[in-house]
Amino acid sequence: MTDLLIFAIAFAVLAAITLIRLAIGPNAADRMVAGDAADTLICCAMVLFSLFSGRGIYLDIAIVAALFGLIDTMLVGRYLEKEGGKGHGSADHQ
Amino acid sequence: MAVRIISDILIAIGAIFALAGTIGILKMPDTYSRMQASTCVATLGVLGVTLGALLYAVFVMGSAAIAIKVAVIGLLILVTNPIGSHMLAKGAYKAGIRPEKKMDVDDLGRDFDE
Amino acid sequence: MPKTKFPAVISTFLLCFAFWLLLTWSFALQELIAGAAVSLAVALFSARFFIHEKAFWFFNPAKLFSGLFYWLCIFPVELIKANLDMAGRCFGGCKKVNPGIVKVPVELKSEYGQAALANSITLTPGTITMETTEEDGQTYYYIHWIDVTAPSGKEAGDAIKGTLEKGLRRVWQ
Repeated sequence: MTDLLIFAIAFAVLAAITLIRLAIGPNAADRMVAGDAADTLICCAMVLFSLFSGRGIYLDIAIVAALFGLIDTMLVGRYLEKEGGKGHGSADHQ
Repeated sequence: MAVRIISDILIAIGAIFALAGTIGILKMPDTYSRMQASTCVATLGVLGVTLGALLYAVFVMGSAAIAIKVAVIGLLILVTNPIGSHMLAKGAYKAGIRPEKKMDVDDLGRDFDE
Repeated sequence: MPKTKFPAVISTFLLCFAFWLLLTWSFALQELIAGAAVSLAVALFSARFFIHEKAFWFFNPAKLFSGLFYWLCIFPVELIKANLDMAGRCFGGCKKVNPGIVKVPVELKSEYGQAALANSITLTPGTITMETTEEDGQTYYYIHWIDVTAPSGKEAGDAIKGTLEKGLRRVWQ
């Protein structure tokens, strides 16, 4: 039983490590890649923790998190495509 | 008992690939290579965790609702990840983000940038 | 804006209703009626963006079987090979990369086939489809490749998507 908890904590730690890239990434696309990966890893951790605790409510949250991961990646991609080239320069989307 | 060992092995395989993707995101030299590494997390990492959790939910917990939801989550991430990845790569290229070390072959820049 | 077609609405409705059943996983009458109403509204709104070609193409058993064969046998093998390659690169210190964007021709004609091929290429670690274009009736993809080992054109296309395209050609056209 505890092995599931250990794996869930491992995935959460990986997601926390990914956030380093979110903090230091030089431009917007780097940050979004790191955020998307962290979202996916948190989904995995939530699935494992739901199996450990035996409650299905975490799975509903994981479904919503996965859907929002798609939507925000698409939003940032569309924003960069339409607006990113205008005016403000190439590498300094702070 | 055997089922639990198999599901643990599957989840461990997923964790190893997720670790590989995380290292890639941290250490790869430019933006597009980091995107390639993050695909590793979303394919075999998620697939391993989903298959392991599915085995566990069906044979140990015996709960159909949890198994269906786990399968839906895995399928959802696998189907939607390429869309977001493609749109982010295209948007980053259109926004003028280029790797520091110039790429040897760059047909998109040749054909659209002039 | 394209016009809404009736078969497209039926196909989208079936897909939405199946997804509703999977999510709720209960067969009480009220939930079924609510799901049918919501699915119908979604289908009426979004069928025109969702389905452009023949709506019932995929209910043909031969196509369905070859599609299942592609998604369960051909694609996972490629996926695992590419994943092992990528994991080796990541654990080896991320130094062995030679990124570049190549332009490869695509033989598939159907829109669905091209979309499935582009998504398969993007889902494989190491390659991302960045842009599609059409010149003289021939479709080209611009693909970001992490380790360019073949020149642009047909050789790079064979190295990236040879097996995938051969499997997909049996499903669409």
